Amino acid sequence: MNDKELLPWLEKATNGDESAFELVYQATHEDVYRTVAFLVYNKQDIEDIVNEVYMRMWRSFHNYDPSRPFRFWLHGITVRLVQDWKRKAWRRIRLFERNRQMTCEEFVWTDKAVLQSEMQHDLFSLVRQLSYKLRVVVILRYYHDYALEEIADMLQIPVGTVKSRHHLAMKELRKRFEMTGGDAYVH
Amino acid sequence: MSIDKELREELRQVSASMNCPPELYGRVRQSYQHYVNEKRGRFSMKKRILAGVIGMAILVPSAVFASPYLADMIFGSVETIEQYGGTQEEYQEIEAMLQVAKGKLTEEEFQEYTELTKQLMQLRLKITNEYGVSDVKKLTPEEQQQWDELGAKLTPYFEKITGSTEP
Repeated sequence: MNDKELLPWLEKATNGDESAFELVYQATHEDVYRTVAFLVYNKQDIEDIVNEVYMRMWRSFHNYDPSRPFRFWLHGITVRLVQDWKRKAWRRIRLFERNRQMTCEEFVWTDKAVLQSEMQHDLFSLVRQLSYKLRVVVILRYYHDYALEEIADMLQIPVGTVKSRHHLAMKELRKRFEMTGGDAYVH
Repeated sequence: MSIDKELREELRQVSASMNCPPELYGRVRQSYQHYVNEKRGRFSMKKRILAGVIGMAILVPSAVFASPYLADMIFGSVETIEQYGGTQEEYQEIEAMLQVAKGKLTEEEFQEYTELTKQLMQLRLKITNEYGVSDVKKLTPEEQQQWDELGAKLTPYFEKITGSTEP
């Protein structure tokens, strides 16, 4: 099912049709989950955010502009909610044991499958070490294949900023990739 | 392979191994049901508010127009009959009777009926002292004739309203 065909179902779901909800969920949940999981590492947080994405989807469907691609809207919601969560998490961390949280977070909670991938994929593990601001650009550019202008639109920041973050991220990846001995691929 | 291609390929491979846990479905579904219930609740609340507004829109003007008692059309106000020993309750009884009449008679008939009743009551008030005692003998011969005529004219209306011939 393509995204155009999904729209009538999404509308039905927002009006309370449960079978339509199921269909929409099946068609979108892996995409939403993976997008969030690339940006946030705590398993519990990922699930909270995915749940929140669906809530937002029903509630703001009336704001959806049908002239734009559905996935763009969906990814926009997802990225904004991740950012909201980051802001809240930052406050939470500042209030409670900031240091402990920061050191424990990645090791205790990360999904085993993701850890495994990290060991097998050098470049991916480097992406995970990038700061959030650089990482989100990399994921939207290389996982979702958005143009830099689209990313700027989605993140609501100037294109110039996206370009510089993209540039910085790639520079960082190249530099570290060479250091880990993967330089044979980088050309 | 360029780093761009490599990156795309790795992200694709990694994402294929990141599977959404099946138990998340139950949770999202629960939130969805919560959303639906809330939406329905809000919808019926909207309907209720709307019904309320429409109800007010109907009630306010009718209250404005209907607020003078029908009985006021005949006596002017409740004070008029209180001067003659009438009470608030009696006034209410007359009012109730007029309301019934309004319901049973056509608009024209009702206007005629109230006009006649008004004349009759004016005569009646004339012959009634402050203790509420009426005496037909106080009327002039012309007024007495008028009294009888009014009674005769009103009889069919009373029949219509109450089914009895008694005025």
